[in-house]
Amino acid sequence: MEKQLELLQGTLDMLILKAASLGPLHGYGILLRIQQISKDRLEIQQGSLYPALYRLEHQGWITSEWGESENKRKAKYYQLTAAGKRRLHTETENWNRMADVIAGILGTKPEEV
Amino acid sequence: MRLWSQFQSWMRALAYRARMESDMDAELRFHMEAYAEDLERQGVDRDDAMRRAHIEFGGVERAKEECREARGVSFLATLLQDLRYGVRGLAKSPGFTTIAVLTLALGIGANTAIFNVVNATLLQPLPIREGSRLVVIWISNLEHGWSRIGPAGQDYLDWKEQSKSFDDLFMFEHGTGTVTAPGEPEQVAGLRVTTNFGEFFGIKPVVGRTFRVEEGAGRHNYAILGYGYWQRKFAGDRSVVGRSMTLNGEQYTIIGVLPPDFADLFSADLVVPFDTDWIKRADSDLGVFGRLKPAGTLKQASGEMSVIAGRIATARPSRKGFGVALVPLQNARLEYLRPALLVLLGAVGFVLLISCANVGNLMLARSLARQREISIRMALGAGRLRLIRQFLTESTILALLGGGVGALLALWSTHLLAIFVPSRIPVPNAADKVTLPGIHMTGKAFAFTIVVSLLTGIIFGLIPGLQSLHCNVNETLKEGGRGFVSRLRGNRTRSTLVVVESALAFVLVIGAGLMIKSFWHLLQANPGFRPDHLLTLRIKLPADAKDSQYREPRNQADTFHRFLTSVEAVPGIQSAAFTEIVPLSQDEMDMGYFLVKENPPLAPGEHLAADYRDITPNYFATMGIPLIKGRIFSQQDNLDRPRVVVIDETLARRFFPNEDPIGKHLQVPDATRPAREIVGIVGGVRDTGFDQQPRPTIYFPSLQSPDQTMSLVVRTSLPPGAILSAIKSAIWSVDKNQPVFDVKSMDEIISGNVSAQRLAFLLLGVFAFLALALAAIGIYGVTSYLMSARTHEIGVRMALGAQPLDVSRLVLGHGAKLVAIGVFVGVVAALALTRLLTNLLFGVSASDPWTFVGVGLLLIVVAVVASYVPARRATRVDPLVALRYE
Repeated sequence: MEKQLELLQGTLDMLILKAASLGPLHGYGILLRIQQISKDRLEIQQGSLYPALYRLEHQGWITSEWGESENKRKAKYYQLTAAGKRRLHTETENWNRMADVIAGILGTKPEEV
Repeated sequence: MRLWSQFQSWMRALAYRARMESDMDAELRFHMEAYAEDLERQGVDRDDAMRRAHIEFGGVERAKEECREARGVSFLATLLQDLRYGVRGLAKSPGFTTIAVLTLALGIGANTAIFNVVNATLLQPLPIREGSRLVVIWISNLEHGWSRIGPAGQDYLDWKEQSKSFDDLFMFEHGTGTVTAPGEPEQVAGLRVTTNFGEFFGIKPVVGRTFRVEEGAGRHNYAILGYGYWQRKFAGDRSVVGRSMTLNGEQYTIIGVLPPDFADLFSADLVVPFDTDWIKRADSDLGVFGRLKPAGTLKQASGEMSVIAGRIATARPSRKGFGVALVPLQNARLEYLRPALLVLLGAVGFVLLISCANVGNLMLARSLARQREISIRMALGAGRLRLIRQFLTESTILALLGGGVGALLALWSTHLLAIFVPSRIPVPNAADKVTLPGIHMTGKAFAFTIVVSLLTGIIFGLIPGLQSLHCNVNETLKEGGRGFVSRLRGNRTRSTLVVVESALAFVLVIGAGLMIKSFWHLLQANPGFRPDHLLTLRIKLPADAKDSQYREPRNQADTFHRFLTSVEAVPGIQSAAFTEIVPLSQDEMDMGYFLVKENPPLAPGEHLAADYRDITPNYFATMGIPLIKGRIFSQQDNLDRPRVVVIDETLARRFFPNEDPIGKHLQVPDATRPAREIVGIVGGVRDTGFDQQPRPTIYFPSLQSPDQTMSLVVRTSLPPGAILSAIKSAIWSVDKNQPVFDVKSMDEIISGNVSAQRLAFLLLGVFAFLALALAAIGIYGVTSYLMSARTHEIGVRMALGAQPLDVSRLVLGHGAKLVAIGVFVGVVAALALTRLLTNLLFGVSASDPWTFVGVGLLLIVVAVVASYVPARRATRVDPLVALRYE
């Protein structure tokens, strides 16, 4: 297995928003979803997931609701709010632009300067 | 709005705290169990799966704490938790808590008490309209050393006409009047004022009205009552307006009553008006206030007034050589007391700093003892800020407790202080006195206490808080809570605190030492007369009434003579005399120019000046002023005989340096008055204060130079209270309607003269003692602590053959070394700071070497004594026990 990448500072929030945008999920589900989409290439500290969830909820980008899990257990499900959707949109745009710029800089060849 | 929603969120958090906690637990548990189940599905056995789930999740407590913070609702909850925890911790160590609270209470209480004094005097605005713009205007003649003399009525009129810097000028004269009806005859404190009185001060009378400006044009016998007098004499009867009273034998109509707080500015029983004629006649010793224009400055006004003074000197030759002195009213009133108050304010500040250092030291010791607890909490994920907050909460609880006890202390000591703070203080160089407002514990002082408590809590809570966080978690836990690295660092802070403490204590004790020495000098100073066993009182003959027999000066002299004969016959009186002005009393001033008839005429504009004193013959004997040459007055030196004077040695030395003054003649500039022969020379008297040099003085026999008001001085071996009624009866046997006033012993007069020094001396003494005691506790604490930390080392030393003497030298040496450094720092600080004391010192320099050496030694002795107990304990260490213990 290829070595896992450490998460860049501040990107966890974005990934959570994206994961939750695909449908209501509990905390563990969000972790699995990110790992699944990233094909296990990202290393996420499980303990740091919950403070991030609480922070996003406090900011009003996600809401939570107690429900029943696949194996009939009580679990807390998170869902994106309208504000959260807008937030995810701008974050994604910003990230893409940033990635373009960085990639452009890093891809510069000596003769192009 | 945002604040409100946050507040709601906090309240919700508080209300549903338990539910949110259990929700959080459930959520995290679900996560780990779900993960463990997934692991099991992959073939891991159950126990192992659960363990791995826990490990991969990381610190659960830390995650929970971060969740609480992320929710932004933990502030109040944490505070409550901290408070609970802090209170529990403090209650568990009652010894520490008691010492810390008491130490703080002393510091905070002393500060609050002094704040009460400063608030009542320096901070309280005058009870009048725009008091900050009022200035006192004196005339001055620096050539003769007269820096502040009350002007004459004509000066006031000239100033009022010519000056443009002032909105208005106001003139007044302190006096005393005899009220004979209604009620018993009594002497009251009077104030004669220009009729702009009410408007000038913005007075709102309790009843009735004040004077109208235009009433100054003619004579109106109107009187306004002081609030206290109205209560005392008329029981606060509001129908008093319009009634009449007999003052100095004339009928006056009462027109109003002054508000109570006006007594803070002028303590007068009765206020009566000047009229223009009276103003022109009033020739000296008046008081003038000016109200600066809003845009005007003091400097500008002084400049303009100097120009006017020059113009007046040309128009009126008697004013040649005179200038003006303008001083803001608020400054002039407190000039005498301000240096002492500022010194005391600084001193209590030092006491508080020492208390802080001591409590900081205690807290540090406690935090080091709790190193293990802190390390564990940090290992479990407590944030550094969170721990500092915990420390601050604890120190603030302590400080507020200290503040509470301190407020009680202040309440009690403010009563005590009110006794020592003089109620009337002199205005320096002006032969005037002002009344100070009463000193009480106010709401402002409570607010002050709370602010000071909170600040102290933060100061001494932050030091140990930051200190203990430098510790290395691993090291501490490894060493079982006896982390040596951090302990060494703590020691440095503790030692620094002790050095600072002893330096502060040194400065305070130096200040107290200087004041003690100075006060002793003051009490030993020879005022030029024997101040013990003297009783004085004043008598004013009612000469103002139109038909008074006392309008004839000869009658005034005769009456005083008859009073004297009657008083002298009272048993227990050794000697009695009348004088125009009692030395040191600062009641009035009387001074003037003179010429020596036998000398060549002086150059134009040149003057000789001296203090004038009218006395009865027995004055020198009664006061114990020595006759140096010639004779004193006799009963024969009356209006029918050649005019004579006695001079003091200061005048003889200055103006007759190489000749015998006896037989020479002095003449006052007024050529119509006869020359007076000098018949005697007496010793000089420090008339204006212990710290002033005697001034050239000319004594006139009162039979040749009568006065309306004179002071009786009586030398008696009986206590004043016992003989006063006999003296009064003796006076009333001559005239039963003659009131006496200002009854004072010379001891009281002297007390009033040195009240600022006494206040500074007493309180600095108390503060220095507190500082010394606190410093001793601090040194004791540090030495004891170091001792217990070094038990092992001492055990080794003793096992290797060190004698108890070596060990106690080691311990004592440490304490002494810290204090020696403190003393060194203190010397530098004291040399800079004691200069502020210069105004209060008499006969001792602010850098008096003996005081510095003495206090330095004292402090080192205190350090040795404070280290002695721990040192003895050290010598008793049993090497075996000590070595086993570690």
